[in-house]
Amino acid sequence: MKSLIVLVSLFLVFSGCTKSSKLKYGVDRSETLINNLQTEPPSLDWHKGTDTTSSEVVGNIMEGLTALDFDDPNLKPVPALALNWQGDKASRVWTFTLREDVKWTDGVLFEAQQVADGWERLLNPKTAAQYSYFLYPIKNAKAYNEGKIKDFSQVGIKILAKNKIQVTLEEPMSFFPSILNHHSTFPIRKDIVEKFGDRWTNPENIVTLGAYKLSKWDHDDAILLERNENYFGEKAKTKYVLERMIQEQSSALNAFDVGDLDILQELPSTELGILKKRKEYVKTPLLGIYFYGFNIKQKPLDDANIRRAIAAAIDKKEIIKVLNGEQIPGSSFVPNGMLGYEIDVGIPYNVEKAKEYLAKSSYKTSDKVPKITLLFNTNENHQKMAENVQAQLKKNLGLNIELKNEEWKVLLDRYKVKKGYGIYRLGWIADYSDPDNFMQIMTSYSENNHTNWQNPQYDELVKKALSEQEVQKRKDYYKEAQKILLEEAAAVVPIYTYVHSILVNPRVRGYKTNPMDQKIFKTVELVK
Amino acid sequence: MEKEKLFDAYKIFMGLMALMGLIMSFFGFGIPFFWTTFGILVLGSFIVVVIKQNMLSYLLKRCFEAGITLFIIATLVFLLLRLMPGGPFDAEKALPPEVMANLAAKYNLDAPLYQQFFQYMNQLVHGDLGESYKYIGRPVSTIIGDTFPVSFQLGVYALILSYLVGIPLGVIAANKHNSWLDSSSMFVAMSGVSLPSFLTGAIFIFLFCFQWKLLPPGSWEGPSFYILPVLTLGLRPAAIIARLTRSSVLDVIRSDFVRTAYAKGLSQRVILFKHVLKNSLIPVLTYSGPLIADILSGAFIIEMIFSIPGMGKHLILSVTNRDYPLVLGLALLFSVILVLCNLVVDLFYAVVDPRIQLA
Repeated sequence: MKSLIVLVSLFLVFSGCTKSSKLKYGVDRSETLINNLQTEPPSLDWHKGTDTTSSEVVGNIMEGLTALDFDDPNLKPVPALALNWQGDKASRVWTFTLREDVKWTDGVLFEAQQVADGWERLLNPKTAAQYSYFLYPIKNAKAYNEGKIKDFSQVGIKILAKNKIQVTLEEPMSFFPSILNHHSTFPIRKDIVEKFGDRWTNPENIVTLGAYKLSKWDHDDAILLERNENYFGEKAKTKYVLERMIQEQSSALNAFDVGDLDILQELPSTELGILKKRKEYVKTPLLGIYFYGFNIKQKPLDDANIRRAIAAAIDKKEIIKVLNGEQIPGSSFVPNGMLGYEIDVGIPYNVEKAKEYLAKSSYKTSDKVPKITLLFNTNENHQKMAENVQAQLKKNLGLNIELKNEEWKVLLDRYKVKKGYGIYRLGWIADYSDPDNFMQIMTSYSENNHTNWQNPQYDELVKKALSEQEVQKRKDYYKEAQKILLEEAAAVVPIYTYVHSILVNPRVRGYKTNPMDQKIFKTVELVK
Repeated sequence: MEKEKLFDAYKIFMGLMALMGLIMSFFGFGIPFFWTTFGILVLGSFIVVVIKQNMLSYLLKRCFEAGITLFIIATLVFLLLRLMPGGPFDAEKALPPEVMANLAAKYNLDAPLYQQFFQYMNQLVHGDLGESYKYIGRPVSTIIGDTFPVSFQLGVYALILSYLVGIPLGVIAANKHNSWLDSSSMFVAMSGVSLPSFLTGAIFIFLFCFQWKLLPPGSWEGPSFYILPVLTLGLRPAAIIARLTRSSVLDVIRSDFVRTAYAKGLSQRVILFKHVLKNSLIPVLTYSGPLIADILSGAFIIEMIFSIPGMGKHLILSVTNRDYPLVLGLALLFSVILVLCNLVVDLFYAVVDPRIQLA
């Protein structure tokens, strides 16, 4: 027995249980920020990746023509690879002047052709890029993506000089420069992609121009980013970023607690109540909303008064209390903090009003209203919310709600055919910093409108707002459209604006959280 | 007789090689060496058993059967995946139909089902498992190649632990039948069976990482990282093996030949570990086939709790992602391991119990 104890102790000493200053890949802890990426990024090819993990890595090793000013409430675009840009009067033709002092990590100079190459690749049907529709506003881009046009020169993209590129749009679009902050629109080195094929994103092949460069990528395990000394902007303050892939939230919390993580990006919802009180806790409202939608072809939801009654009978604050979260309740379809957010649109919580709507409906009383199915994907939080809504509607209106949860892809399949549910849930996070992101969801031509509700007037207003340059006018259009969507038709009920809660180790300084949830590390400084 | 001695020497040599390989791999040295050793070991024992028992024709027959089994599995999984609602590119933000059409064309999902099936089978015959839909541009074989060795390593350690703990515990319990030793070891075994691994894992992390600050809570970077996941994964099979061994030893211990051995004046140790144990291993062996396959191919929960970059999570997530090629690849890999393990177990029956004739 004694020898066993000696053996175990020896083993523990041997195997290095004491915390060392050296991390994985031999990098020093004092100059390495450790972040949790959570999962393996599906692709670091910025034209093909569609998820948040891929865009997080890409966002640190690449840059777009524009960046977003996170100090500005409207997140206006600011120069990045483009020095400046000019739209014509109608916001239809945009000319971008690019920086001439930018070098890729292999020393090659950055130029306009690489921007056009990137856009060609994104739109090429052979690439089968899921985000190709991002450039559909460009003239003939959609036709090229569909394969109807084979000649790329017919697409509204023109190189005027080595550092000048001009874009002609199908329709006027005031926020086009903001879109160029999205990773799918980043420039590319065609020669590198052609040379290495699918392996071009491997650390030994990839060529980038951001503040960091990809140094190591151990699939399903970790990624190491190293400062790009040739970066055109202010150099990154911390030499390395170690991105770990800890998927299980409580395991990540353990790692944070023993000092193996500097930033914990997702907090386990069950422990949020305790974590909120910690000094490392930081919260940021996101440009994203959670809402319930009504399938208006399903009885009794074909009656607008029933939909209004339900909207008025849901107390959003109570839902958030159940979640123990910090979400911001709201009735606006545009998230809090974005242009178009209105405090006084939508149907506010009012039980008396709800009862009035019910009485005005064709059913008159609750006992005549058939059972309504509320569909959500299997998830603890969605379940809690749905149960709360069920209880509130029973208590406030006497309505019977049946809860139904489905596996994620099965649920999406139901959404596609728009059948098999009365009420459904959806969360939506902005891809670009413009309200159009949200308002277009409910247009009649949107793939994401699962309500069966269509309104030409709403479509028209959203289209008008898209091309309008004057901010106040856009706001007015969006307000009017929201009144139709939320009050007149009551096709959806927004519940809250998302809030991103994280834990940041006190040794991390200068990490800027932002409403677009872009995780940018170049400003981070580590203190001893 | 000469042949017998040669086999004994070979067995000892293999055992030593395996042990060395294991120790080295545990401390992070010579991983390729360990895998080579392991390969040689498995192949070696295979050849030894086949030669010793004249079972070549039996082996060939089993391989042929395995081929048919794998074909049926591939077909079934292929069809079931297509029947499942939801497609690989369905997302919360639904894609425009034009984009969907491009994706379908790229992955040949717009072709008739029978064409897709023949294309897949054709690829399979040529050893190509296809490309993942989720991890764009990464071949399924690369994903397996990256993650399987980790799951395998974890599984091997856990298996060794479970046999090293389970068998002696079972034998001791049976030998001291109805004593406090029996009840306490069976209590431990029962707890091992009934406690779910996410709970034991959490308890271990709480104790070893936060209370005593001895071990790291996750990752897979060296010996100190291996201990907790191996313990957590090995505990349950160890408990099951202990219970199986106990009941089987209890059966054997009452047989005539054991009484004869006692009468001959053999020591209890010799009787128990040489005569009784060998004859009691059949149930443990039977259980070992599926157990080994199950443990080696990745333990989802353990890998999640300890954030180990293994294959377990792909087994689950590939299905939720509807990543058809990855699901198929993993299902086939799992089937191959299962078929192989069962074959090896069948071969070992003949070694453990000479009464069993396979050929």
